[in-house]
Amino acid sequence: MADLTLLTPELTLVGTGLVVLLIGLFLNTNTKKMLGYLASLGVLASLVLVIMSLGREGMLFYDTLSFDALSQFFKLVFLSVALLVSIASIKYTEGNSHTEEFYSLMIFATAGMMFVASANDLMVLFVAFELASLATYALAGFEKKNPISLEASMKYFMIGSLSAALMLFGISFIYGATGTTSIPGVAENIDILLGSPMGLLSVILMIAGLGFKIALVPFHMWAPDTYQGSPSLVSSLLAAGSKKMGFVAAFKVFMIALIALQAEWTTAFAVLAVITMTLGNVVALSQTSVKRMLAYSSVAQAGYITMAFVVMSKTALAGAILYALSHGFMKAGAFIATAAVVYMVLSEKKDSETPDDIDNFRGLGRRMPVTALCMTIFLFALAGIPLTAGYMSKFVLFASTIEAGLVWLAVIAILNSAISLFYYARVVKYMYFLPSDGEKIAEPMPYTFAMLIAVIFVLAIGFWSEPFLYWAMEAAKVLI
Amino acid sequence: MAIPILSLIVLIPFLFAVLTLFTKTKEQARVSALFSSVLVLALSMFMYFNFDSTTSQMQFQEFAQWVPSLGINYQLGIDGISMPLVLLNAIVIPFLILFTWNDDKKQPNRFYALILATQGAVIGVFVALDFFLFYVFWELTLVPLFFMVSIWGGPAKHKASIKFFIYTHVGSLVMLLGIFGLYFAAWGQTGTPNMGIEHLLSQFQFIASGLSRDLIFVALLFGFLVKIPAFPFHSWLPDAYVEAPTAGSVLFVLLKIGGYGLFRVMLPILPFTPSMNLMIAIMAALGAVSILYGAFLALAQKDLKRMVAYSSVSHMGYVTLGAAGLVSLSVSGAMFQQFSHGLIMSIMFMACGVINNATGTRIINELGGLARKMPKLAVIMMLAFMASLGLPGLTGFIAEFLVLTFTYINQPTYVVIAILAIIITAAYHLWAMQRTMFGVYNEKFGALKDISASQTFSMAVIAILILYFGLNPSPVLDMMITNSEKLVSLMAVAGV
Repeated sequence: MADLTLLTPELTLVGTGLVVLLIGLFLNTNTKKMLGYLASLGVLASLVLVIMSLGREGMLFYDTLSFDALSQFFKLVFLSVALLVSIASIKYTEGNSHTEEFYSLMIFATAGMMFVASANDLMVLFVAFELASLATYALAGFEKKNPISLEASMKYFMIGSLSAALMLFGISFIYGATGTTSIPGVAENIDILLGSPMGLLSVILMIAGLGFKIALVPFHMWAPDTYQGSPSLVSSLLAAGSKKMGFVAAFKVFMIALIALQAEWTTAFAVLAVITMTLGNVVALSQTSVKRMLAYSSVAQAGYITMAFVVMSKTALAGAILYALSHGFMKAGAFIATAAVVYMVLSEKKDSETPDDIDNFRGLGRRMPVTALCMTIFLFALAGIPLTAGYMSKFVLFASTIEAGLVWLAVIAILNSAISLFYYARVVKYMYFLPSDGEKIAEPMPYTFAMLIAVIFVLAIGFWSEPFLYWAMEAAKVLI
Repeated sequence: MAIPILSLIVLIPFLFAVLTLFTKTKEQARVSALFSSVLVLALSMFMYFNFDSTTSQMQFQEFAQWVPSLGINYQLGIDGISMPLVLLNAIVIPFLILFTWNDDKKQPNRFYALILATQGAVIGVFVALDFFLFYVFWELTLVPLFFMVSIWGGPAKHKASIKFFIYTHVGSLVMLLGIFGLYFAAWGQTGTPNMGIEHLLSQFQFIASGLSRDLIFVALLFGFLVKIPAFPFHSWLPDAYVEAPTAGSVLFVLLKIGGYGLFRVMLPILPFTPSMNLMIAIMAALGAVSILYGAFLALAQKDLKRMVAYSSVSHMGYVTLGAAGLVSLSVSGAMFQQFSHGLIMSIMFMACGVINNATGTRIINELGGLARKMPKLAVIMMLAFMASLGLPGLTGFIAEFLVLTFTYINQPTYVVIAILAIIITAAYHLWAMQRTMFGVYNEKFGALKDISASQTFSMAVIAILILYFGLNPSPVLDMMITNSEKLVSLMAVAGV
């Protein structure tokens, strides 16, 4: 008998989304602020339910949804990011008449990601993937009167649709050859794809399809434009949440369904990982828009996580999974901090065209001390300075490459990590060392609150890593 | 052992760093910093007097599990290698704070907080017995120093701080690769993960592949050589030392973690590297070249602080050279050089800072005759310069004498190279002294005031220590000899 209680986190979340949408109809613009609190509470409740369900396992709906350590861990990532974003958005959506749409879209996107994490069937995976994607396309263009936001949304939509088509095409090959769409089923009936051009083709199509979402070079072109143009909080959801959805889907597709074709895809991922991290870091060096810099840094970080596909050991996967969680907090935090700065700039100067320019970070240490301090912690964490989540995850992930004897990969990764320090430190330099004549500003409460939560987790994963690492290991066991 | 004394001397500076950050005025900040540093000094003195210098065992050990699934533990301990360096930090920091007592710094709360944070991190490196913890503290030393240089530094501070940060960060990352290699090799052999430094070093000899052993050794060595710094990895040093504020330069001088790594990590595994003789030759050659090249560079400098910075490269060469000497007394000499160099350079940088503040320049040619107006400074600076050039009766002499004499047994060629530098060392010290302190007074400086009471006091105390340990080195040298005998006996076991 299927145990439907496994679905309570998803049901809670979707229920919240519907309630928010419904109540929004009856509220006027001034009272819509409560929707933010309601949505945050719903996400929080769902998060707590997922934490309570850690360790439970089960299958639902004719084995199309699987609940295990891997899926629950990634749900934690998605919900944590959603929680941070929804708290910070309370300020962002203030006075906006479309508040309910923003929150319900964000919640549905998160629900889509959660179903991807649980998907045990390629069709379910695809549908859930599209649920998340469609919601985020709309979110990216949420600032309807801002042409940059619209451009971001349009690019994201076009390229996203193309990648979805490629992925579906790949799935059709896999289905055609194996006669099933069930992920473990594909692995059992893989024979016909082995050594055939069709196998190679389906691997290429799946890498391309998923590579867009993960923003692997050369499928990353949309990411900088979209992350830069979208409202910062949406970028936060995209970089910290939606990208991880790509990873969990890729883990399932390649490490479970197509594991027999490992010889075909492992080299491809090795090349992609190296060029992704190198290009991301090198291009990030010259950016003057902080959001664009964070976008390229996000590309680079995807490169690090992709190393897990090359190393393919339990340590590597645990490292990659832990990295996904850490990156969720670090990147979401950094984007929220940027959002706070953008908010500040726009409230001072309404028509600023580049509110996220690095020049606006001048003297932030004095103007917005809490934001600047949090941003510094996020940036140092992204660079991998010890006692932060970023260090702990890099430690495990990079260590695993040495364990597997891939010294060249470790050297490339570590050199990249050193390059990245340069552009992260530059933002810190602007915040603390360059003077600015601006006034001290009252920092918007919701942004600050969300950042502080993220800081707590970034430091907690760094200091008290054991429980996080334990669950990452458990999640890795599902794959290997 | 009821009081976790090592944890206290690491945590107190960090705790007070946070407290100091929240102080409102300069007065509160400096009092809080002084209180913390005196507390650390008191605890270290207590530890020193309860320290048994006849054994090379770890003392005052502490242990707690941290990340059991990766074998990472919170493990602290101190022995004759680390004790003098902890003492050095504990002694100099309070006087450094007194030295800056009346300075008008912007943001005094952050300034003192960073001094304390650096102290905590540096002492942490010396007492950590777990590689993970070691590396954490190792990297943490970077952050406060980065801010120190980039907030209070000189004109080229941004470039200098970023250069220093990235340069040494790359060194650390390569070292981290070495640690990973060691860790997984040992994990494979014993079946359980363990990051303990002593455990990993003892497993090194059992690694089957000779190539792996060489690679691990080189990776670790690179990390330490960059930090020491040894030629040709020294180019971050002059920029960082010169651009740093006086207190920052002194903190850099106290950052003896690179040399410490040589004794703690490199020497115990040296006999088990397949290409041992090559490694020894590399270390000795880099040491000797650093001594000579550093001295020449110092000779060519126009800026007093830059000269002192290059003399630091030259002096740290003795550490590398002595370590490669592989005789108990040469190794002890190298350890003593670290201790002695920390004391001497502290005064030299303080003197540079005072001169720069008083006259507005550090260019040696523009100075002159300062001794007439600043007699107290002249006396103390003279003593430091004499100690630095190796005058008998002061600490520098003992260290350099031990290194040169006993390294000669195994590495005569490199010692001869190093000895060539002695005359140059004497030359640049004496010329600099002559042209800044004596000679014709440059009247454009007007009426200069001598150093203040707090500055005199703090510099004089360190100067007296240089004299004291120069005449009676045994309080710290004995424990160094005990430990270096153990290190060298490992070589004997391996048949060197």
